[in-house]
Amino acid sequence: MIRDITIGQYFPGKSPVHNLDARLKLVLTFVYIVSIFFCKNFVSLGVSLVYLVFAVLLSRISLKLIAKSLKPIVIIVLLTSVLQIFYNDDGTVLFQRGWFEITTGGLIMAVFTSVRIIALVLASSLLTYTTSPTLLTDAIERLFSPLKKIKINVHTIAMMMTIALRFIPLLIDEVDKIMSAQKARGAQLDSGGVLKRGQALVPVFIPLFVNAFTRAYDLAFAMECRCYRGGEGRTRLRVMKFCKRDYAAIAFTAVCLAGIGVSNALLTALI
Amino acid sequence: MPILETQNLSYVYGENTPFRVQALENVNLSIEKGELVGIIGHTGSGKSTLMQHLNGLVKPSSGKVLLDGADIHASKAATYAARFRVGLCFQYPEYQLFESTVYRDIAFGPRNMGLSKEQVDERVRRAASYLEIRDTWLNKSPFDLSGGEKRRVAIAGVLAMEPEILILDEPTAGLDPRGRAQIASLIENYRVSTGSTILIVSHSMDDVAETATRVLVMDNGAVALSGTVDEVFRDAAALERHGLDVPQITRVFLSLRARGVEVRTDIYTEKQARRELIRLFKKRGVLQ
Ligand SMILES: Nc1ncnc2c1ncn2[C@@H]1O[C@H](COP(=O)(O)OP(=O)(O)O)[C@@H](O)[C@H]1O
Ligand SMILES: [Mg+2]
Repeated sequence: MIRDITIGQYFPGKSPVHNLDARLKLVLTFVYIVSIFFCKNFVSLGVSLVYLVFAVLLSRISLKLIAKSLKPIVIIVLLTSVLQIFYNDDGTVLFQRGWFEITTGGLIMAVFTSVRIIALVLASSLLTYTTSPTLLTDAIERLFSPLKKIKINVHTIAMMMTIALRFIPLLIDEVDKIMSAQKARGAQLDSGGVLKRGQALVPVFIPLFVNAFTRAYDLAFAMECRCYRGGEGRTRLRVMKFCKRDYAAIAFTAVCLAGIGVSNALLTALI
Repeated sequence: MPILETQNLSYVYGENTPFRVQALENVNLSIEKGELVGIIGHTGSGKSTLMQHLNGLVKPSSGKVLLDGADIHASKAATYAARFRVGLCFQYPEYQLFESTVYRDIAFGPRNMGLSKEQVDERVRRAASYLEIRDTWLNKSPFDLSGGEKRRVAIAGVLAMEPEILILDEPTAGLDPRGRAQIASLIENYRVSTGSTILIVSHSMDDVAETATRVLVMDNGAVALSGTVDEVFRDAAALERHGLDVPQITRVFLSLRARGVEVRTDIYTEKQARRELIRLFKKRGVLQ
């Protein structure tokens, strides 16, 4: 069902990962994703995986949910693995039939790329699972605030993102409701050919758009009534401030990065 | 045999997520032909979820829904057929209008039933007349109507399928008192002239006190109380326990009684109230 979409969803909690400074979490996720691509052998990849597993356990997000975030990428992972096995002819040959052969090099590359893609998706899911959309856009606004100097309106962009994120669940709810209502009048939304299904969506999308525009107008009026005038001179309810926990996270990440660097340097490179 | 029945119906939203909600728990109810059942309960008590089970839109986590004794999830065809036999009009149905004209929107349901053009036309006009939708509106865009008018068009869209059982989820929510009274009387007219079975969901007592033959009180995903209007509304304390108030008019008489005025307190409608007040005034010699 449409409600099963978990990408970009936030699961409230009180774990150390939830409580980290949102700016820091954003930067650390970014640093981590870059670092995955610097892992040159299984030991360094192992180190980065340990870091990720530790973060996941700390977040106390159920493993089922974590696994769910991987569902959309299963095909991508399988496809890239197959391609790697096909096109890589390094190492010893394990299996051969005609022009098709599986080599150790191909297998290793396949495992490596799969693990990287999975780690990348897991890390970014962990970020959105544990950070409320408001905090996340707030963090983005602050991290990018230097761009104000080159006349980019960071606040407006961040506000638009916040509103868009806030509206996603509302729209999903609405689609769900409208679909049910039209089904109650006998609309067949999940059968028939492509063309028929496309036509069947008209009774869903027209009310959806009409309602979305009405909502947007209402929201604009409401914001204006509360004297919203953009970011200038606006103060904040929540002031983000680093604390002990955040420094600990930085130190921990530094150790992980050092681990990756050391294993890369000491062990022979695989790729 | 009851026309509609549920057996140990349970439903859970978001199973296996942190947002798991047990919306229905072991609901057993049976509706007889021709009844007008009022279903009341505070917000979140599971009324809407239950209603969506009754026309097969939602598949129960466990338990059964029987329509004329047959499981409505027995086959895909049975489920689809149930949509037309049990007409469900959602809360705020005006947000589901989509066609270019009122006529075409009302015709959406009958057309999905595969009826001929003449039959569709007949049903649209009949449904429109039940809801006092003027002929001149039929060619207007539904988006040009007022809120109350849109609501009537949307209800007509469900009525046009001429279901044996009509379910209305909070049909008067968000309307002014005049709009509420109008919708209520149109529904009552419809029932009297067609003899349909009707279920009206509401979180307010006042909506159902007047016309319902039976009242079900829902709380926490279960049917907490059930009986005639009299039986259910007599026990103000029980209603309060389930997060509900007695009808406003009843509250007036309860507080009169509390001040020592000799009035009856089983007063749930305006009509009963008027009769009781006249009796009281006569007794005190204010009226002849
Ligand atoms: N689509 C949904 N997803 C998750 N939970 C829901 C959904 N719809 C309703 N609920 C929950 O189920 C319970 C019953 O809701 P509902 O049937 O809408 O009650 P009512 O109509 O009596 O106000 C509530 O706790 C509500 O939060
Ligand atoms: Mg409801």
